[in-house]
Amino acid sequence: MTGILEFLKGCGRQIKTGNRAYFVWVGALLVAIGIGLVAYVHQARVGLIATNIRDQVSWAFYVGNFTFLVGVAAAAVLLVIPAYVYHWGPLKEVVLLGELLAISALAMCLLFILVDMGRPDRMLHMFPLLGTPNWPRSLLAWDALVLNVYLILNVVVVLYILFQAYNGKEPNKKILLPLVLLSIPISISTHTVTAFLYNGMASRPYWNASILAPRFLASAFCSGPAVMIILFQVLRKTTSIPIKDEAIWKLAELMAYAMFINLFLLGAELFKEFYSQTQELRYTQYLWFGIGGHKALVPYAWGSLVASVAAFFIFLVPRLRQNWVTLNLGCLLIWSGVYIEKGLGLVIPGMTPDTLGEIYEYRPTLTEWSIAVGIFGVGFLIFTILVKISVPILVGTFKTGGAAPASH
Amino acid sequence: MDHAPCTPAPTAPPPPCDAPADAERRGFLKITGGAVALLAGLDAAANTETHAPPPGGDAYNWEEHRWAYVIDTSKCIGCGSCVRACKAENEVPEGFVRTWVERYISGPGGSYVDSPKGGLEGFPPVPTAFTPTKAFFVPKMCNHCKETPCVQVCPVGASYRTKDGVVMVDGKSCIGCGYCVQACPYGSRYLNPVTHTAEKCTWCYHRITKGLKPACVEVCPTSTRIFGNMLREDEPVRQIIDHERVSIMQGHLLTEPQCFYLHLDMEVR
Repeated sequence: MTGILEFLKGCGRQIKTGNRAYFVWVGALLVAIGIGLVAYVHQARVGLIATNIRDQVSWAFYVGNFTFLVGVAAAAVLLVIPAYVYHWGPLKEVVLLGELLAISALAMCLLFILVDMGRPDRMLHMFPLLGTPNWPRSLLAWDALVLNVYLILNVVVVLYILFQAYNGKEPNKKILLPLVLLSIPISISTHTVTAFLYNGMASRPYWNASILAPRFLASAFCSGPAVMIILFQVLRKTTSIPIKDEAIWKLAELMAYAMFINLFLLGAELFKEFYSQTQELRYTQYLWFGIGGHKALVPYAWGSLVASVAAFFIFLVPRLRQNWVTLNLGCLLIWSGVYIEKGLGLVIPGMTPDTLGEIYEYRPTLTEWSIAVGIFGVGFLIFTILVKISVPILVGTFKTGGAAPASH
Repeated sequence: MDHAPCTPAPTAPPPPCDAPADAERRGFLKITGGAVALLAGLDAAANTETHAPPPGGDAYNWEEHRWAYVIDTSKCIGCGSCVRACKAENEVPEGFVRTWVERYISGPGGSYVDSPKGGLEGFPPVPTAFTPTKAFFVPKMCNHCKETPCVQVCPVGASYRTKDGVVMVDGKSCIGCGYCVQACPYGSRYLNPVTHTAEKCTWCYHRITKGLKPACVEVCPTSTRIFGNMLREDEPVRQIIDHERVSIMQGHLLTEPQCFYLHLDMEVR
């Protein structure tokens, strides 16, 4: 018991100490969370009418963010594979940081679903034993299941690695390796099930394409590592965790391949739509060229394409990906490219025009933007705090002070 | 009158459309996942068709009914009585409709479709840029599909289909996620702005289980809307579906809608 208390006090100390940049960063996140909170109080009072979500477009900005973040969560853990194959050295560190990012992204995912529900007070209806989940028929019930399993698994792995390190021990390979190996298929399945959530809708031809799940995975391999590349650079500067240049450059190279596959699959889809020109072209047309005067998404679609193609070339050319300025620019480009593609670019054209042929042009309201800002604030704050506590444990500056460790 | 108890056991009704054998659609994960559930020792593959207790007490036996709906588009005059009756009967919130009427105007030079307020206040004249050669009204509503995607996708089993063939939403269990709203190929569902849960046409279930007609059928001045029990051979719906050339909407999705249309035009989707 005293061990846990001592640990918690230690965590408090870690969070309370830091340089000026750290406090400015945390302060900014708290402001973002405050903005989101105020906006959500308003939405909770008046309902989803505070958003521009309507029955024609019944999933929108929130679910777009959710979809993007599921990709980030999935890819973060998949970094374990190249880290292992290419002998990046600090495998344990890569696993841990990937899992921390996954936990933060999953927290944001769950929050984005919560704010998208008309009756968030009935959230428990989705859970086994507590509610009446329509499992295994409904893909939404599946998604809730795999996301929560993935979250729990990540928390367990992180706690185990940290618990061992805190007590000055290396993690037992026989316990850690099976858990890490298990998290790989589960991370792929979270993103696949999320793709199937859209894919299974026969009445929405834009989503009802079997290429959707592969595209989800390809784009996830772009957006997840982009965060890690930036994080690795920050950690190298501020801590003693040894991350080699080669590891970062290899990661950038892998992102180039992932982006190539992503763009190729997009091209395959565009060819099918524009060459066959069935009535199902309308959704793709709405995204890329607009229908009549309805062109809300057109600049975003092309912006996303330009960003993705530019990032592809940056990561492909060794001289560019080994230059820190162009490398970080590439990360930003790939993030914005995939954020649009897997966010509004995926969700909105699926429902515009709607099943009756009506066009309702969706644009997020200020409330939606504010709530999204707040949720990203929560996610980044969780990530910051987790990293702030974990890194000292990993490098051995924050460990048990000799008191008996708490029982497992 | 329409729904007097039928003593002679009705013969098994013919399948209303050319469905391939008895293969159950939208049961994919119900079957495969059911096996998974068995392995896990959980019986999660609940039968959504028997979600609610039989309504109406002793007077109404849902085993003796299988409801169907016929819309003869050639008779509709676009008066909007059905829309108003439905809103009044079911307390449908402002700005929403459970049944609506669409106006189609077309000619060689183009086509035009609208549905101002769902046809609630009728249809004012509208100028078109082309010379119309035909114009007609199409009433729409939930198609009460047999193999309905809305029941399939609902994450909490709040959407269900009754034994007598009516698709409904349990407002006490719905979490307002909106998944069914987008799964419906007919645009028939909405999220109620007051309760924040999904709602839709129930074929006035509270009326039909008492031997009354749905409000929209009751008020229709031209008999465009016809409703009845497919298990009785003498019912007009059964007669029409058995003997006339009826069509359904979004037939390629194989949802087996139980709303049948007479004289549907190719423009209608």
